[in-house]
Amino acid sequence: MKPELDEPSGQHTTGHEWDGLKELNTPVPLVFRISLWLTIAVSVITWVLYPSWPGITGYVKGVTGYSSRDRIAEAVADRQILRLEQMPEFASLDVTELANDPTLEAKYSDAIAVLYRDNCSACHGRDLKGQTNFPNLTDDHWLWSGTPEEIEYTLQYGINHTSDDTRWAEMPAFGDGMLERPDIAAVVEYVLKISGSEHDTELANAGAVVFEENCASCHEAGGIGGMEIGAPSLVDDAWIYGGTRDVLTETLKHGRQGVMPGWSGRLTEEEIKKLTLYVLWAGEDGQD
Amino acid sequence: MTTFERIEISVIFVVTFAVFILGVAILGFGREIGYVFHGWLIAIVAGWGLMNLINRMNDKQPDIPHEYADTVIKWGVWATFIWGVIGFTIGDLLAWQLAIPSWNGDMSWSNFGRVRPMHTTAVIFGFGGNALMATSFYVVQRTSRARLASEVSPWFVFFGYNLFVLLAVTGYPMGITQSKEYAEPEWYADLVLTFAWVGYLWLYMRTLANRAEPHIYVANWYYMGFIVVIAMLHVVNNLSMPISIAYPKSYSLFAGVQDAMTQWWYGHNAVGFLLTAGFLGMMYYFLPKAVNRPIYSYRLSIIGFWGITFLYLWAGSHHLHYTALPDWVQYLGMTMSVILLVPSWGSVFNGILTINGAWDKVRTDPAVRFMMVAMLFYGLATFEGSFLAIRPVNTLSHYTDWTVGHVHAGALGWVAFISFGAMYKMVPWIWKREGTYSLRLEAWHFWLALSGTLIYVGAMWNSGITQALMWQTYDADGNFVYAFIDTVDAMRPYYFARAIGGLLYLIGACLGAYNIYMTVKGPAMAPAPDKHRPIMQPGE
Repeated sequence: MKPELDEPSGQHTTGHEWDGLKELNTPVPLVFRISLWLTIAVSVITWVLYPSWPGITGYVKGVTGYSSRDRIAEAVADRQILRLEQMPEFASLDVTELANDPTLEAKYSDAIAVLYRDNCSACHGRDLKGQTNFPNLTDDHWLWSGTPEEIEYTLQYGINHTSDDTRWAEMPAFGDGMLERPDIAAVVEYVLKISGSEHDTELANAGAVVFEENCASCHEAGGIGGMEIGAPSLVDDAWIYGGTRDVLTETLKHGRQGVMPGWSGRLTEEEIKKLTLYVLWAGEDGQD
Repeated sequence: MTTFERIEISVIFVVTFAVFILGVAILGFGREIGYVFHGWLIAIVAGWGLMNLINRMNDKQPDIPHEYADTVIKWGVWATFIWGVIGFTIGDLLAWQLAIPSWNGDMSWSNFGRVRPMHTTAVIFGFGGNALMATSFYVVQRTSRARLASEVSPWFVFFGYNLFVLLAVTGYPMGITQSKEYAEPEWYADLVLTFAWVGYLWLYMRTLANRAEPHIYVANWYYMGFIVVIAMLHVVNNLSMPISIAYPKSYSLFAGVQDAMTQWWYGHNAVGFLLTAGFLGMMYYFLPKAVNRPIYSYRLSIIGFWGITFLYLWAGSHHLHYTALPDWVQYLGMTMSVILLVPSWGSVFNGILTINGAWDKVRTDPAVRFMMVAMLFYGLATFEGSFLAIRPVNTLSHYTDWTVGHVHAGALGWVAFISFGAMYKMVPWIWKREGTYSLRLEAWHFWLALSGTLIYVGAMWNSGITQALMWQTYDADGNFVYAFIDTVDAMRPYYFARAIGGLLYLIGACLGAYNIYMTVKGPAMAPAPDKHRPIMQPGE
């Protein structure tokens, strides 16, 4: 077939045809050629300026000496210096001294709130009030004491975590042969009694004896807690896992081994101090 | 049967038998329920294939009609629409899950991480792959004036490929995955695909070799490019060592940053060759055919094809900007991505300018409208791709929903639009119908799909840029102003918009499937002397 003239475009075809399909022999548009050479030129300039082509043992470094690793190291160093400059107290003072400075909360609370929400709110909630299985941080019920140093320690090493220095506490599984079923039921009624819930008086009295023998060593006589070894008070209205008959039975039978991660190494010492202060401030709003 | 055909059918028999044995071994030794189920699936499909092969081999005088082999194409059309509707439905379900997270059902098999690859595999490989196979079989026969070069291989390819997609999609909810994006299926499914794909390549090359035309039409260059490169990518990225026949698990040959680079060399070129080159092949046949105009420029076709083929293979590293990947690989990938824009837009203009002289068809024929808008979305997506590949731009876009929007501009607007346009043309042709069942429905499909795509992409641009800016907002002391969860909260309206856009798109696709079904059910054209037949082969 011979090339033929295509009326609407004024171009000739190539002379090929497939199933009725033809092609025009239109020259490549000038704008296409210019764009192609322009992008190639931009690329060549980039290759000269930045790391680009590989060789046998290395690569073309580029005249700017650019390295993204160096850039990020510089940026991180700059940001750390900036933070120390902007919040100098956290570099120089320890948590007790920081806790005694009443001016800090107004100055830094908003900035630290972001740090808290990024790292802690998934478990303890954005309002710090916790949720089932995760304790409320705004009340005055502390498993390991609420002093600044102790809160800081918990943040650094965690509870039941992998670090050697972690705090260790476990509610044993009394259902695994340590207590008989009727005894567990009795202790549950006793705990319901001391926490001020509806209970079976007769069973609760029997439970009191079992409690003194098996539970008081951690929860203190009468279940008042406060020994600061991770065992909570059972007489108040704050519950981590829940204070109903069903949940208490579950807790007694199968035990609890809640984990708080240790943040040392993941966050800087300054950041842990900031979060310690943030938790302390949340507990100072006059609630019990 | 010629000796050649005898050898071919024997080879296919041996391969199918090997796959059958693989299935039997899996169902016998397998120790996980999903894996054993897959063993049964493989054994049943391969066993059924073996029976058919035996019948065929015993047929002394097999009847090879003197016409194009279109039956397998018809199956391909059904597979395209079935996988399409499944994939779009799962996709929209995921969009609603993101807007309302509790809709994940709180079960391991229905959570986002497992359902998301079901969506991507069903649409990319199920819908896109079948559309490519079906149209490529149609195009190669017409433009070569030759019947498919084998009677058995097309079925081996079709069923092998769809078995692979089925294994992939059913495996994810049961946790069977090697966790490589767009290459999630485990080793045994990969083996099935490898056999099917080698068969596809062999069949395509032989049909082209049988052609009665002096030249190879441009659409076939693209289809060939797609088949060859996907074969290479699939094999290299999936090199792995299974731990045992008893479990689906395998370990990749690559580790660390090499693994990441291999994976994104694969991932980027799956986009470049399956979702771009293959569909450009589709465009180069169905668009000029539908508007009855010659291709705008043969020269632009050549530069476009070789530009895309050469440059895409370098560009994968732009998915790994600012990672452990060495800087030189990042910059090289970035510059190649920038140059890539020019030949890509060359193809866009070659398609759009082909309509010159027939623009009235865009108004009157919804299928042409689909294809014209597909070219616009291709132009948009490929510009966006080169733009996002520039490192400083990438600091804004990376890890945000902008990427998701970019992918869907290409997938919904380009890949699926060109497929719908081609299907609306091809279905009446292969079933010999006057035209589609309803042009009105076709138009409804078009407008629903277009508004769905625009809502989707618009929502993702907004959410992506909002995310990026929120992540990068610092106060004067160098602290983040927003916690990550704040940025998630801010996405809510966009996620609802996306889910609504996806729903419109899904409704459109269902109308399309119904329209195709009614077209096929409708009356056939009066049999006319068909001049479009393969010509006799020398020596036949």
